[in-house]
Amino acid sequence: MGIISVENLDRLFWLGRYSERVYTSARLFADSFDRMIDMDMDNYAAFCRQLDIPNIYSSREDFCNRYISDENDPNSIYSNLMRAYDNAIVLRNEIGSEPITYIQLSVYDMKKSRVSRAPLVGLQKVEDNILAFWGIVDDMIENENIRNVIKIGKRIERLDLYGRLQMNRESIVREVHRLAGRIARTNLHYDEKNLKELKKLAEEDQIDYDRVVALADTLRKD
Amino acid sequence: MEIELTRRAETVNELLARYGVKFGIYKDNEFKEQLFPFDTIPRIIKKEEFAYLEKGLKQRVMALNCFIRDIYGEKKIVRDGVVPEEFVYISSGYLAPCDGVVPPKGIYTHIAGIDLVQGKDGSWYVLEDNLRVPSGASYPMIAREICRKSSPDTFETYHVEDNRDYAKLLRWTMDYVNTGGHTVILTPGRYNAAYFEHSYFAEKTGAHLATGRELVVEDDYLYFVDYSGKREKVGAVYRRISDEYLDPMTFNEESVIGIPHIYDVYRKGHVALLNAPGNGVADDKGIYYFVPKMVRYYLGEEPVLQNAPTYLPYYEEDMRYVLEHFDELVLKDVAEAGGYGVVFADRMTAAQKEDFIALLKREPRRFIAQEVIDFMDIDILENARRTPRKADLRAFVLMVDEPIVWKSGLTRFSRDPDSFIVNSSQGGGFKDTWVLSQ
Repeated sequence: MGIISVENLDRLFWLGRYSERVYTSARLFADSFDRMIDMDMDNYAAFCRQLDIPNIYSSREDFCNRYISDENDPNSIYSNLMRAYDNAIVLRNEIGSEPITYIQLSVYDMKKSRVSRAPLVGLQKVEDNILAFWGIVDDMIENENIRNVIKIGKRIERLDLYGRLQMNRESIVREVHRLAGRIARTNLHYDEKNLKELKKLAEEDQIDYDRVVALADTLRKD
Repeated sequence: MEIELTRRAETVNELLARYGVKFGIYKDNEFKEQLFPFDTIPRIIKKEEFAYLEKGLKQRVMALNCFIRDIYGEKKIVRDGVVPEEFVYISSGYLAPCDGVVPPKGIYTHIAGIDLVQGKDGSWYVLEDNLRVPSGASYPMIAREICRKSSPDTFETYHVEDNRDYAKLLRWTMDYVNTGGHTVILTPGRYNAAYFEHSYFAEKTGAHLATGRELVVEDDYLYFVDYSGKREKVGAVYRRISDEYLDPMTFNEESVIGIPHIYDVYRKGHVALLNAPGNGVADDKGIYYFVPKMVRYYLGEEPVLQNAPTYLPYYEEDMRYVLEHFDELVLKDVAEAGGYGVVFADRMTAAQKEDFIALLKREPRRFIAQEVIDFMDIDILENARRTPRKADLRAFVLMVDEPIVWKSGLTRFSRDPDSFIVNSSQGGGFKDTWVLSQ
């Protein structure tokens, strides 16, 4: 659609952020879950530390159940997926029915993985759906501004997560460049000084991860 | 012959879930989204039968439009004693601020939803006219899309009118009265029961979906405000919120979902509102009794479609009949909707009957009584077996230079074998309605 309200611009941005949060946290959980099968049963504590989320879990089982699917745990993958869904469902007019179906399918698959003893199978489907969602955003949404706002949400969230996880320098540099290249093509208000500093940080040999996270989170101005 | 589509029920339902074909419902003050149960056995209406319905529906909606124009204009029908004034001015749907206001092109009933049932003898009866914000057309529209995908062979075999043109008809209806500017579908928001429909229509018609927060009135015009603060003029609003919440400055002052002063813009002819505010005066269950009289009065024709036999306890003669035949009747509270306020007298206990009759005598204007029509049952698939259920049909009539009847409709059925109530809010499901093209 040609005209977008300020509310829906915000929702597009957060749809991008939450879809990325679901995707990356599902992938990270998969790595951690694998280790917890027979190598490091308490790996979930390190996982929580890495993601900077409170370790409210009493055991490996408790973590695996609640982190995936507890609707009352604000950090669970399910809660983040529902936030993506809540944003998507009111954006039918902006993004169309087809992209929304992939978020909807993720919700169904997530519900199925709740009761599974092999939750990674369901989570894999969630990841596939999110990837399909991003693909269809690229393929079907004609309005460039809408596409870009979703992608900026995704890029900022990814930079935030990668910063928290202290990912390797190449990953951070790549994400900063992707973000910088796109944000100017949106109508979002952003802090140019923060962007400049992010680019500078990416040139340093040692990445200041805390600063990367802080700058990513404050880049967009409301 | 078994329709191939019915063997694809699982696929169809999976796709309906994928597309999120849902409606919202409040239970214990909590909002829940539910998939709208769909049955793949269609209601089939033959071409000639639909031609008859079409003629009757056009006639009925034309008469209702004339009635609303008259009530908020000259009031001739009241002066001539065809409709008693008590039924007009104390109706909760009558809105005094609408008096003397003529909408663009004189159209009030842009989108009408007429509820019909078919008796066992094949006769059709109108049960209700919905002229405020009738919902439901989106469901058979998307169901058809999915059914065609799931079972193309079915649609190669049967010659069915394509109902997916509803969005085009709706857009035409909105454009026809647009006063110059964008077209907007106004929704109360995500937590409205019919939000799926609002957003689906916006997508399919290319209109902008907006809540009241995104629209402002300035200098007697209505504007959509975009993220940069730029104002875009709006010329037509298909509002999916009730009259009373539309404008807190004119109607319910506590409304937080409306747009202050939108009614002033409308009054000046600077925006079209679909449907027109004040239409409730004509779809009041009490006024329903008079619709055949309206057809004769305004159009000088005999009504093609008949009402279900209805009695107004307000009239002494009808009250006598109602009391004498109480157990055979269904009583409806004129102020209620959605299947609520409907009681079947034969299901009341003796004490309930006594209380109800006392209430009826105290407030005769509040109720209508109808003969219980022996509906023609329609089969649904339950556990893969055909089983009969009560069903109605909501036909949609859109008004441009003349009324257009959508060649489909929403068939709702009761899932409870002992119930006549088909409303989705009370557990009902829906079917596609096929109008055969040959």
